[in-house]
Amino acid sequence: MTKHLIGLGVLLAVGIAYPAIFPNNLTIAISVLLFAGWATSWDLLGGWNGQVSLGHASFVGLGAYLVAIGQSQFGLAPWWTMAMAAAVAAVLAYLWGWLTFSLRGPYFSLSTIAVAEILRLVAINEEWLTGGATGVFIATLPEPFGVDLFSRTAQFYMALAFAAVVIATIIVISRARFGYQLRAVREDEDSAMAAGIDPTATKLKAFMLSAALTSIGGGIYGIVLAFIEPHVIFALLLSVQIALTAIIGGRGTIWGPAVGALVLIGAGEIFRTTFAEANMLIYGILILVVVLFVPRGIVGELARRHIRRLYAKRAQG
Amino acid sequence: MPNVLRADGITVKFGGVTAVNNVSLSLGSGEILGLIGPNGAGKTTLFNAVTGFAPMHSGRITLLDKDITALPAFKRTRLGFGRTFQTERPFEELTVLENVLIAAFLTVGRRSEAERLAMSVLEQVGLADRARQPALDLNLARRRRLELAKALAVKPKVIFLDEIMAGLNPPALREMIAFVRSLSGQGLAVLMVEHIMEAIIELSDHVIVLASGEKIAEGTPHQVTRNERVIEAYLGTD
Ligand SMILES: Nc1ncnc2c1ncn2[C@@H]1O[C@H](COP(=O)(O)OP(=O)(O)OP(=O)(O)O)[C@@H](O)[C@H]1O
Ligand SMILES: [Mg+2]
Repeated sequence: MTKHLIGLGVLLAVGIAYPAIFPNNLTIAISVLLFAGWATSWDLLGGWNGQVSLGHASFVGLGAYLVAIGQSQFGLAPWWTMAMAAAVAAVLAYLWGWLTFSLRGPYFSLSTIAVAEILRLVAINEEWLTGGATGVFIATLPEPFGVDLFSRTAQFYMALAFAAVVIATIIVISRARFGYQLRAVREDEDSAMAAGIDPTATKLKAFMLSAALTSIGGGIYGIVLAFIEPHVIFALLLSVQIALTAIIGGRGTIWGPAVGALVLIGAGEIFRTTFAEANMLIYGILILVVVLFVPRGIVGELARRHIRRLYAKRAQG
Repeated sequence: MPNVLRADGITVKFGGVTAVNNVSLSLGSGEILGLIGPNGAGKTTLFNAVTGFAPMHSGRITLLDKDITALPAFKRTRLGFGRTFQTERPFEELTVLENVLIAAFLTVGRRSEAERLAMSVLEQVGLADRARQPALDLNLARRRRLELAKALAVKPKVIFLDEIMAGLNPPALREMIAFVRSLSGQGLAVLMVEHIMEAIIELSDHVIVLASGEKIAEGTPHQVTRNERVIEAYLGTD
């Protein structure tokens, strides 16, 4: 616990100093932080609770659209629309989970792809609200305490706060009753029921919290993009990237998804600038290597070795 | 003796096969009910039906005079059922302590108190020194005891033990028999499935014999072991 809180402190300290040290690398850092927050939110359901979603772009898009539409059409400040997005995302997750959590195996995962697709079609067709296929544009934003929300520095700090809040949430949950209910359901639903745990209710809670957190990051993303297009924001690619970030970093670990974001988005950026065309190929190879040789993900594998070593030491002593 | 658990006319069908046919049982606190029968007799299926893990075709179950027939398994646990699985089902990725902690969280919300309860149960079953070990690494005898610890940590009124003695060596078997006796001494109602007759005869107040899903005999251990239908059922299949 203290170990993780120190980690969080380091993240915040480095983060607070970052814009002054690397003022020219803010955009990539914002991406890393948003993905860290999204992947960690995803992992609450996918890693800790074992329910793999391939539709988390739905919640990113929901947040981004609500912030953009709220601002451009109704003059609502982002903090209100982000709170609304969290509530709407939770309701959507509840309804979707209620429909699909009784399905076992890969069906839940497959069904989540449909959610993003449905939302994308809604966004394209409800032109009066969403601007249709063209998308929606944020032209003005409020200036709380004189802060310009269009500045990359302000956006960086929002993304940092988002990532930190999500990671803090996971740190607390991992130690609490709810965190153990999540893991019990992931490991064995019958055994969980024998411990008095309601598997469906547990999955619903995890899905709702995961969706709500993701949508808040989506709202920040909307501000960062300032221009939201349905086929970009509700893309399967984004959903897959969020899931992969967590899986490569280490499912069901506190820091895995954040490390995954650093590696995937960071490496992705370096590859894109150095290798240009070969970028996707190298990205693909990286994923393959992790899946084949580090199936628990980077942090998952490190943690396991650490436990083994501790245990071996105790067994000798 | 007042009944803690009553099950009336339990019938379970899998497709066209009747795995349990119209079996009834009742159990008071501190009482040990032994359930025996040849392989495939329907013992585990009866356990699963009573605890809510197998859908029943017909029957009625009451716990402390409350009808729980329609309740899902996890609600029956909350009302006072604890169970083991014949093939142990630990949460493999977690430590021994965390496995029991999950069960302890049912009655205790605070982490520190739940951990204390889990540790005291681990001490009872003799696994305290393994608390930090991954559950995956336990050998058979210890996996059994972990299964027992998980069932006890929900603080049940009725505990269902499905062949927890199978495969134990003689000293471990003696320990387990003494342990089950101590549970009934604490007022727990115990329902146990067991192939080891030594344990059944020593522990059971009452024995029910199943064969091909039917109750073919019941009574004291001595009555049923002399019953001709029982002898025939065992000799006929083994
Ligand atoms: N899920 C299921 N689907 C179909 N048939 C089943 C199922 N579970 C059990 N059966 C069948 O029901 C019958 C009773 O099985 P059960 O496991 O209850 O026997 P048992 O008395 O516990 O045997 P054992 O002593 O080997 O554990 C068997 O014929 C078995 O094949
Ligand atoms: Mg059985």
